[in-house]
Amino acid sequence: MKAEAKITIVDFPEVVNIDEIRDEAPEVKTFYLSFLDPRLEAGFRIRSGQFIMCTVFGAGEFAVSLPPSPERDRLHITVRAVGKVTHALHRLRPGDKLGVRGPFGNGFPFEEIKGKNVIYVAGGIGLIPLRSSIIHVLQHREAFGRIILLYGARTSRDLLYREDIREWQKTPGFETFVAIDRAESGWDGEVGYVNTLIGKANVPVENTAAFVCGPPVMFNGVIAELLKRGMSEDDIVSTLERNMKCGYGKCQHCAIGRTLVCTDGPVYTYRQIKTLGEGI
Amino acid sequence: MSVFAVSKEVLMTVIQELGKTHELHGPRVDRASGQVFFERAGAAEDIALEAELPSMPPKELFFPQVDRLLKYRYDSAARSVELTRLGQERPKALIGLRPCDLAAIQCLDRFFLGQEYVDEVYRTHRRKSFIVTYTCNEPARQCFCVCFHTGPAAEEGFDLNVTRLASGYLLEAGSEQGRALAVGLGLRPATEEQRMEKERVVERSIALFPEKATGNKAWASRVMNRVTTGFVKPEVWEEIGKKCFECGGCSYVCPTCSCFNVEDACGAEGECERLRTWDSCSLESYTRMAGDHNPRKLVEDRRNKRFFCKLSYSQSKKYLRPGCVGCGRCVWVCPGDIGLPSVVEQVKS
Repeated sequence: MKAEAKITIVDFPEVVNIDEIRDEAPEVKTFYLSFLDPRLEAGFRIRSGQFIMCTVFGAGEFAVSLPPSPERDRLHITVRAVGKVTHALHRLRPGDKLGVRGPFGNGFPFEEIKGKNVIYVAGGIGLIPLRSSIIHVLQHREAFGRIILLYGARTSRDLLYREDIREWQKTPGFETFVAIDRAESGWDGEVGYVNTLIGKANVPVENTAAFVCGPPVMFNGVIAELLKRGMSEDDIVSTLERNMKCGYGKCQHCAIGRTLVCTDGPVYTYRQIKTLGEGI
Repeated sequence: MSVFAVSKEVLMTVIQELGKTHELHGPRVDRASGQVFFERAGAAEDIALEAELPSMPPKELFFPQVDRLLKYRYDSAARSVELTRLGQERPKALIGLRPCDLAAIQCLDRFFLGQEYVDEVYRTHRRKSFIVTYTCNEPARQCFCVCFHTGPAAEEGFDLNVTRLASGYLLEAGSEQGRALAVGLGLRPATEEQRMEKERVVERSIALFPEKATGNKAWASRVMNRVTTGFVKPEVWEEIGKKCFECGGCSYVCPTCSCFNVEDACGAEGECERLRTWDSCSLESYTRMAGDHNPRKLVEDRRNKRFFCKLSYSQSKKYLRPGCVGCGRCVWVCPGDIGLPSVVEQVKS
């Protein structure tokens, strides 16, 4: 079979239609997108862990990670309304158009973690960039050891991808622990910060890779706990977020020391992140 | 290399000839302020070849301070959008470029055209340009190109290089298009004596550099070593950070600084333009994200980043040379006296 040429939309956005919008959580929506150009709709391929630059016409552009599984899903993005551009995005309706550039970035290291246990630790919207990786690992179940998800959010309403989570909880051999910060009536899951789940899940540290993503406070707590249990800094993987303007290595906003998050990252091991010295 | 000897009049003819096919840009003295700017010249005689180093670098010609990338109008009734790429090729001749500024353009070329992705915006500006450099007969007060091996004479990367001799000018062709122009105009080849005279001009120019510049020559590479390996104590960066006014001036006058911001500017009628504008890593907003999370908030961390960019070997890889070319403009502009030579001094001690 002839290898398909990789498409990267570098500096001139291509237009996509918003086919559908789903409310994920307060202030968080998922937008399903399709390219107007049929060649792009057929040929645009992403790797798990990459990101795109998304234009909200009239407001500007922002970098956003990609939750869809490259093998299975329609193109979509999940975005919390935080700044000027993302608020403008949230005001759009199905049928509105967006601009897309990319995909950019390195993606998750699946080859390197073959044969290992895989732990996902996500806090809040930190589940967004990890989603495609979870699906990939579940689809290649036989290539990995234990697979564990530890997911925490502030309240039950803040949990993303509830449909996926229900499916994952029923998937044999996938150990899922979902927690909210404080007890709520009607909630029969775990309660507490996500780092407390590490003990409850009795996570392995030998021959194990951990994918960690979430707000800085949660990230630092989880890393400390994993390291305390003896996990190697090389086996902890995360994806960095930076102010990005171009996505292809020229604007330099995402430069940390000698690395550019857009072209060298956004996926790094914790050892690399620590060496860069700037944190997440 | 083909080398020619020309009179002032013939040199003007060469520039006029270039002006037939290219926009002419060169150093011009502003009558009111006496400052020198590298800008559009209507005619060859408007260019002040021997004026001091222009206060702003010529990077503006290939990396405009405000660059219009594309325009669009979002029709919210039809919910459709048309995007149009802006920017067009304009052949430009840069006349009287100083060697440090040429070295900086080579840095920008390697960075914008030679990495994983080619920057088409830069390439459009850069294509079809013609570069005429000018050997510095004497350094200005702030010059330290000798520390970074970029001057006082350009060695490569120009189409033509001009050196003022006691009588007339030496014209060296550094490219095929430079040679073709000279040959086409029937210029007279230089004599051996005239070529030798250029060597003496360069030697004399080097001898005129202050002790501080020539004495720091070895220090530049030693400081690069320290910056690369993280040998510099945090207190040094803190001290440098304290002196920073966070004005961004150093980035704007630096001929190799090329960080940019991108924003969509929209008019009342819904017409929008995507603009690429100069940015500076010294500004607090540079790394600030939506929601106000800023991983590099402290001024000393931001200063550290700038000098790592200019002075580390790992950053040099993208330019194939250090990110500083020794033009000294940051010394001129910095109100806090943390131009690059002062930073070298502080890291050194």
